[in-house]
Amino acid sequence: MATAVIDIDFEQIPEQLSGLHKYTKALVLVRLRGRPIGQSTFTITDGRICGTELRDRLLNIGAMPYWEQYLHDYLAWDPAHETGFVPPTATIAICTRDRPEDLARCLQVISRLPDTGQEVLVIDNCPSTDATYDIVAGQQGVRYVREDRPGLNNARNRALRESSHEIIAFVDDDAAPDPGWLAALLQNFEDPLVYCVTGLTMPLELETDAQEMHERWSPFGRGYKRRVFDGVHVNPLAVGQVGAGANMAIRRRVLAELGPFDEALDAGTITRSGGDTEMFTRILINGFRIVYEPKALCWHRHRRTWKELRQMFYGHGVGVYAFLTRALFIQGELDSPKIAWDWFRYDQLPLLVRSLFGRPSSRPLDLILAELRGCLAGPWAYRTSRKNSGRIQR
Amino acid sequence: MIAKDHLPFISVIIPTHNRRASLERTLRALGRQSYPFDLMEVVVVADGCQDDTSEMLRAYAGPFRLCILTQPQQGAATARNYGAATAGGSIFIFIDDDVEPVPRFVEAHVSAHRTGKGLVGMGNLPVELACRTDFFSLLLRSWWANQFQEMRKPSHRFLYRNLFSGNFSLEADLFRKVGGFDPSIPRREDYELGMRLMKADAKFMFLPNAVGYHHEVADAKGNLTRAYQEGRGDILLGFRHPELRPTFNLSRFQEVSNFRSRIAQVLAFKYNALGDAIASLLCRLLVVLERLRLRSLWQRIFQGLRTYWYLRGVKDELRTRMGLIKYLQEGPAHSQPDDVEIDLDLSQGLELAEHRLDEERPAGARISYEHNVIGHLPPQVGAERLKGAHLRAVLATDLAWPFLRTLIMKQAVEPLGPKFNIPTIFRR
Repeated sequence: MATAVIDIDFEQIPEQLSGLHKYTKALVLVRLRGRPIGQSTFTITDGRICGTELRDRLLNIGAMPYWEQYLHDYLAWDPAHETGFVPPTATIAICTRDRPEDLARCLQVISRLPDTGQEVLVIDNCPSTDATYDIVAGQQGVRYVREDRPGLNNARNRALRESSHEIIAFVDDDAAPDPGWLAALLQNFEDPLVYCVTGLTMPLELETDAQEMHERWSPFGRGYKRRVFDGVHVNPLAVGQVGAGANMAIRRRVLAELGPFDEALDAGTITRSGGDTEMFTRILINGFRIVYEPKALCWHRHRRTWKELRQMFYGHGVGVYAFLTRALFIQGELDSPKIAWDWFRYDQLPLLVRSLFGRPSSRPLDLILAELRGCLAGPWAYRTSRKNSGRIQR
Repeated sequence: MIAKDHLPFISVIIPTHNRRASLERTLRALGRQSYPFDLMEVVVVADGCQDDTSEMLRAYAGPFRLCILTQPQQGAATARNYGAATAGGSIFIFIDDDVEPVPRFVEAHVSAHRTGKGLVGMGNLPVELACRTDFFSLLLRSWWANQFQEMRKPSHRFLYRNLFSGNFSLEADLFRKVGGFDPSIPRREDYELGMRLMKADAKFMFLPNAVGYHHEVADAKGNLTRAYQEGRGDILLGFRHPELRPTFNLSRFQEVSNFRSRIAQVLAFKYNALGDAIASLLCRLLVVLERLRLRSLWQRIFQGLRTYWYLRGVKDELRTRMGLIKYLQEGPAHSQPDDVEIDLDLSQGLELAEHRLDEERPAGARISYEHNVIGHLPPQVGAERLKGAHLRAVLATDLAWPFLRTLIMKQAVEPLGPKFNIPTIFRR
């Protein structure tokens, strides 16, 4: 069972979609002039999606944005460009570790982005071979930096230090940014209090059960509405809706003003994730802002095997609890246990109950248990990881 | 560096009160300006200073002419007027003693004034916190940032309360014509001047490059005192300009039925001895909540206290709740005799309509397309008259759907393929 991922422009809706015999379902991303405006899932029968159904549903999604866009064109008025803001130049940073094929594909996509003077930086994190170096050496205009201390957050910090520009846009090595991605991220840095911009992440493919379940129960996308998270108005610890580190741009000055990414967190350490979440929280705690910008589209290839998926859920549990532990004990945020409780009470527990009673379309039990096991391991993992990284940070 | 020919002589006027170090930082920053120093003077008015401000000023050697005035403490408005009376420039730039201008600050103000007469240049005043991260400071910085983010848009319709006395400039003649600051309205003297400038049809303009970093040092407790003074100030402002009364948040106080503001009202107007005691307890609680990092509770209590102290200020001016109701009801007829409204027909093209707004600067407009009414932009109390730059943004937001419906009805839009059936909402 697999799901086809289809990208359709609202102004060119095809009469019908056929030749999809491999798939039982289709996830359609709808765009208007390249801008993502919505998504919908279709059932495929006999390798086809019926044209009427496709049109009806896409019209539902696209009618309002279409007319709004029409009006803006008629008026030659664009809210995003009203003030004549000229976006800054950026550095694109790819943090990678022993995934040369993925990286090669990623670099190829990035080389096709419109040139606005951006710098491309590959941070090779604690490599076991020279494969990554060899790939980067063959690429024009890509800078290679080796970071020998393992850990995604070490690599991110290195990227901030090495960058030649004030804004650093991070891409995962298993991701493929859309042509308008970088410009869409940068447009949001006009407000000097915006320290981070996150984008919309969509699945590159949904070929296996694991990938489908990933997209279903832990999607990276956060909807099609731009949102501004202001640290003085939202709870800085509840950052689930902000976005993900797989598609984010941040100002270099966070390094000097708010401190580096916490080396005890995220991939490559025993806490496995949570490094991006923790940085979002720190930005908000200090009264700065994060923008979620759905125009900044990036495609991400989810892990293919069930084992990797289970590990991801486990890692998510560890990371969130590690981050909450840090918030409570290092930053003294007394709200932290309440966030953990709310997550359990309003999300994890209902899912667990549904799954135990075998309700239809409930989350697979092993994924839920993996996440819960991760949560239990989180606080201790953070303690150990801090000892390992052996450095006290803010 | 700009060409020196025909540049005006300007005066930077700074009122100060017991802030020697901060003032020195302001003066140092003024000593680094790109504007020719022989064409600028700095007038400092020491308002009842008891620290060593005077010694510092006498010893100060800057590249510009420094004029030092002193007065017994009478408030910033009087000090600014005194400074203006002595100043010799044809343009006045007012800044506060906690503002640190960037090197092109004066240049940015002057460049704006060279584009036309009768202009009021609003400088950019971002808050600089220098590592302070207490809840109140962050809230304050966010508030200021939003103000300037809004004013930055070309379509922004300026209001009398967009005038912030910490960083703005105007022609000396205009300042004298409207009569300077009114010192009898403490804490609201800038809004009050903004209102008279609005009535004088001054052209308000935001100057994003005239940046002065605002080294704000207020804390939550000080801000509550300020809320009290603002309550009094608003009432006095409403005596001076009765037409402003409906624009105050206060004007909806009877409709606001949430529990906390009800309590604040009853305490402020009836039992204010009890109210003050509770408020001072809660104020101490704020400190505890901040230490426990319980943000949302802190914010709710802080906003409640602000409401309370604001109403206490109102009470001290008007005595009773009935007095307040009467005060608001005595608000004036909304439109003024010279409030011209025009009929604006968009069928001749948007450029023409914009041009007409720029030429006539009406207070309001009834917008139509041929004979179809699209909407009404009524005259707005305390706001600038309409101009061309307002039009497209209003049509794209507030009037979007009626405008689009009219366009479709009139078939002013290109014929649409069958693919895009007009949604029912537009066919009504």
